[in-house]
Amino acid sequence: MKFRTILTIIGVVIGTSSIIVMVSIGNGAQKSITDELSGIGSVTTLQVYQDLSSMGMTSMGGGKTDDKTILNDDAIKDLKKIDGVVAVTPVVNLNGGEIEVDREQYGVSLMGVDYAVLEDMRYVTTSGKKPGANDENSVILGKDVLTSITYTGASTQLTESEVNPEDLIGQNITMTIKRTNANGEEEMKTQKLKVTGVLEATGGNEDYSIIANYNLVTELNEWQTGRKANVKKQGYTQALVTVEDSSVVNAVTTEVEAMQFTVFSMQQILDSMGSVFQMLQILLGGIGGVALLVACIGIVNTMTMSIYERTKEIGIMKVIGASISDIRNMFIAESTMIGLIGGLVGIVISLVLSVLINLIAGFFIGGEGGVTISFITPGLVIFALVFSALVGLLSGVRPAIKAANLSSLDAIRSE
Amino acid sequence: MYKDFKLGKEDINILKGINLDIEQGEMVALLGPSGSGKSTFLNVLGGLVPPTSGDIMIRDYRISEMTENELCLFRREHLGFIFQSYNLISTMTAMENVALALTFAGVKKEIRRERAIEALEVVGLVDRMGHKPSELSGGQQQRVSIARALVNHPEIILADEPTGNLDSKTSADIMEMIYRLNREENQTFVIVTHDPDTTKYCTKVIHMRDGLIESEVNQ
Repeated sequence: MKFRTILTIIGVVIGTSSIIVMVSIGNGAQKSITDELSGIGSVTTLQVYQDLSSMGMTSMGGGKTDDKTILNDDAIKDLKKIDGVVAVTPVVNLNGGEIEVDREQYGVSLMGVDYAVLEDMRYVTTSGKKPGANDENSVILGKDVLTSITYTGASTQLTESEVNPEDLIGQNITMTIKRTNANGEEEMKTQKLKVTGVLEATGGNEDYSIIANYNLVTELNEWQTGRKANVKKQGYTQALVTVEDSSVVNAVTTEVEAMQFTVFSMQQILDSMGSVFQMLQILLGGIGGVALLVACIGIVNTMTMSIYERTKEIGIMKVIGASISDIRNMFIAESTMIGLIGGLVGIVISLVLSVLINLIAGFFIGGEGGVTISFITPGLVIFALVFSALVGLLSGVRPAIKAANLSSLDAIRSE
Repeated sequence: MYKDFKLGKEDINILKGINLDIEQGEMVALLGPSGSGKSTFLNVLGGLVPPTSGDIMIRDYRISEMTENELCLFRREHLGFIFQSYNLISTMTAMENVALALTFAGVKKEIRRERAIEALEVVGLVDRMGHKPSELSGGQQQRVSIARALVNHPEIILADEPTGNLDSKTSADIMEMIYRLNREENQTFVIVTHDPDTTKYCTKVIHMRDGLIESEVNQ
């Protein structure tokens, strides 16, 4: 093999491996972020809110309100009717509660859900069990409920209890809530809560909350604010919709949006991230593509040089019976081989580079089980191979046609 | 048959009306001073350059109207070429050079090898088949090129000064061989030469001058 050909192949190797490594870094970023996000919160849970824009309209217009846009019990029933929906619960939150565990105070918030559908929701308890539908005072603790974050000036301090939440299972804890009454005096109310289980980490609000019965939280809320919630007119602020599996998320989202509610799901985030990462990959791949374009010019150059050098040989072949397509195919095959060999070597080098990048990144970033900065998918490997062969083939077409159309007599006379 | 060439702005008439019949199995010598058009005539005959006007018929094939691709296929099956400068491919061995003509005809590899060896046997070079052209003498190279012309068993072999680069002893050997092939295989040879010694092997000697046939002698 000629030195010139080897140099050209190296050009293709650099082009191919820069595309693969660039795209693999895009892949890696996407993979690590989507993995992280999928770990957080269930992909089968949709958060439904009253449509913010229509709420604004109502308050400004002050006129009649469209029933459909209010997230009340009727709406909850309608949500439940959507195909693929397993469970729907309104959510009420109570903030400012305090519990005392092992003589330490922890600020907590309650998250009230409908215990009747608790079984159907995808909450998983690491230990203990879920309360029954009528357990008014039973609660599930979020995984990090006993971790309190205190802000002291510039620094934040994370205090973690030595008490494991799981140790509280079966015990009663006392929660205190406060309110300021009409006379400006502070009043306190205590509420006994029976811990039945600890929730597996969801990455969402639940981790720092206590899951409680919807009725109990409403009751406490009413005490705290001093007025009865008018669900029928004002609706719930939030509802959680659990669907069968991730494949129906988009269909259910569309239907809920058609009911003029605002929907928020992990799937939406993942989808929009997906398009962002696609852009990133195209951008990075494009940068690598420039290197391959240069390599492509190299192939054209090498093939053209080779034709000048082998003009006589081409002439001889034509005289002894090579057809135009024989000559053309011969040169196209040659340039395709340059692309293919370059692509293969490029793939091997990229795989090595990818491992090295992850190794070095792991060394600097730390963390267990390695870091994924560069991630090469089988699809990317196949794409790179086909693409490099294609680049070789296309680069060869023009020189090959030029070779095939050489006059045999002129060619044979050249030296 | 006529052939013009453009040289700068001027048209140069190289062949100014050639009319010639050659029978199967003849061995024709084309003689003439340089510039008389004998090589051009041979090239037109082999379809390497098209005539400006006129017709060339080989058997039932009208060479003058074939496309480039048809000419390639025609040469592959019916014509063999021998050149003054041998025109072997320097990166290939003698055997590969001979087999190359069969490659384009789509002959299988083992059969290509077999037939190439056969052709090299005819020219007496089997023992040199693994050598590259640079490792062979001029006479040997010319014999390889003859083997290459023979390997397809063409009816017609066109030779452009086959002995032009060889000494008189080797020239005689080559001409003996061509003569033998002509006798044994009934192959038609058209040989361009300026060596009068060559003509003694030929059945017809044609003298050309200024693009015309000056004399045509059967012997």
